[in-house]
Amino acid sequence: MIAQDFAYLAAGSLEEAVAALGADPGTSRAVGGGTWVIPECNRGECSPRLLVDLRTAGLDGIRPGDGSIAVGATCTYADLIDSALVARQLPLLHRMATGITGGRQIQNQGTVGGSAVAARPQSDVPAVITAMRATAVVRGLAGERRIPADELFTGAMQSALRPGEVLAALEFPVATERTTVGYHKLKRSAGSWPIATAAAQLTWDEGGRVSAATLVLGGVAETPVPVDVDDLLVGQSTLGEAMAEVASRASAAVTRPWTDELAPGSYRAAVAGPVAQRALAGAARRDNREGGNDGAGL
Amino acid sequence: MEQVSDTLVPLTLTIDGVHRTEAVDRRSLLVEALRDDFGATAPKTGCATGDCGACTCRVDGAVVKTCLQLAVAAQGSDITTISGLAPRGELGPVQQAFWDEQAFQCGFCLSGMVLAAEDLLSRNPEPTDEEIRWAISGNLCRCTGYETIVAAVRTAAERLGAADS
Repeated sequence: MIAQDFAYLAAGSLEEAVAALGADPGTSRAVGGGTWVIPECNRGECSPRLLVDLRTAGLDGIRPGDGSIAVGATCTYADLIDSALVARQLPLLHRMATGITGGRQIQNQGTVGGSAVAARPQSDVPAVITAMRATAVVRGLAGERRIPADELFTGAMQSALRPGEVLAALEFPVATERTTVGYHKLKRSAGSWPIATAAAQLTWDEGGRVSAATLVLGGVAETPVPVDVDDLLVGQSTLGEAMAEVASRASAAVTRPWTDELAPGSYRAAVAGPVAQRALAGAARRDNREGGNDGAGL
Repeated sequence: MEQVSDTLVPLTLTIDGVHRTEAVDRRSLLVEALRDDFGATAPKTGCATGDCGACTCRVDGAVVKTCLQLAVAAQGSDITTISGLAPRGELGPVQQAFWDEQAFQCGFCLSGMVLAAEDLLSRNPEPTDEEIRWAISGNLCRCTGYETIVAAVRTAAERLGAADS
């Protein structure tokens, strides 16, 4: 039982949630899937006076737009896994969702939006949505703001949302037919949090050469670490020769490594290179838009 | 000083087919309300952090960890616990397979394990061992290890497949 008393509001709409959270922004808190906020309250690590449940606010849609797909803030990982649209057009997000740990229960409860806002360094979501160039659509009493993913994560457990603001949706540009993806995460056991992750997207030209490359590391620092590999990979038809340089660049990019009970920062910096290589190797398997799991324990 | 009774709210749930309303402290986790207020003690309170899976129930058709949800957030929900999988005194096919394979010892994880297995088999009637292990990866057993549990899910899948054909 949560020790401190609180009021509970099942918000009937985004507007109602914004009004409730904006009225007393310092002491109220939004709840999405609940997988993080509820145990935190139960452990007494936070004691909001008002909990605003977003699951009743109609924010669980997956809506295709013009060249983009909006994933509502309360879409669960299971919603993403079960969506043929997401599998086809947001393959990296789909790939990430299928590997979310904690069993089908957590996939049914956890939300990609909630994980983005929680901004935990070890979570799968921050690096993946950064690699996908997602945009967070947030709403507050002052109106709507659009925050690019590479500006969304400001520190460990800190997002760019202001007090009283609510995430409404994450917007993702759709992958082209020529995009392949890879995702790799290093973790201690099937159910444990990742120690290091790498998300990769490659776009190929008609001649079978890389025309654009994206590589973002997660879990290794407070916020996602993009690694610039365009000059190494663009124009290549195979990645073999560039892989050694990819690894050393990935490792060098981890300038302020994250330390927690799972692993010291020095370990995370040391594994960043191989983890990056495995994600890119998955993306390079061009017959597989889903990318490889690469033995990540799925 | 606020009185404790002020935090009591009516909560209506359908648990294993029975529609009931009880007064519940609004600070309760769903698993606490199920056990303490509704007397549905099949789900267990383990970690209360979403790791162990002992509190797993099917809520409105989806398996969830009921320690991660406020009881008041489940208002009106249809909840299935392991007690609702077969008529009283009988075992469902997944339960029977766990019994036959001696897939539990203390039984604390059993309720969640069986519901996770049921959920897998409802979506994937012929799982590989790797898929079985992934499906129960959100449920921790601290007695027997997982070999007999995987065997039980495999046996249940074989029996259900044979019954269907």
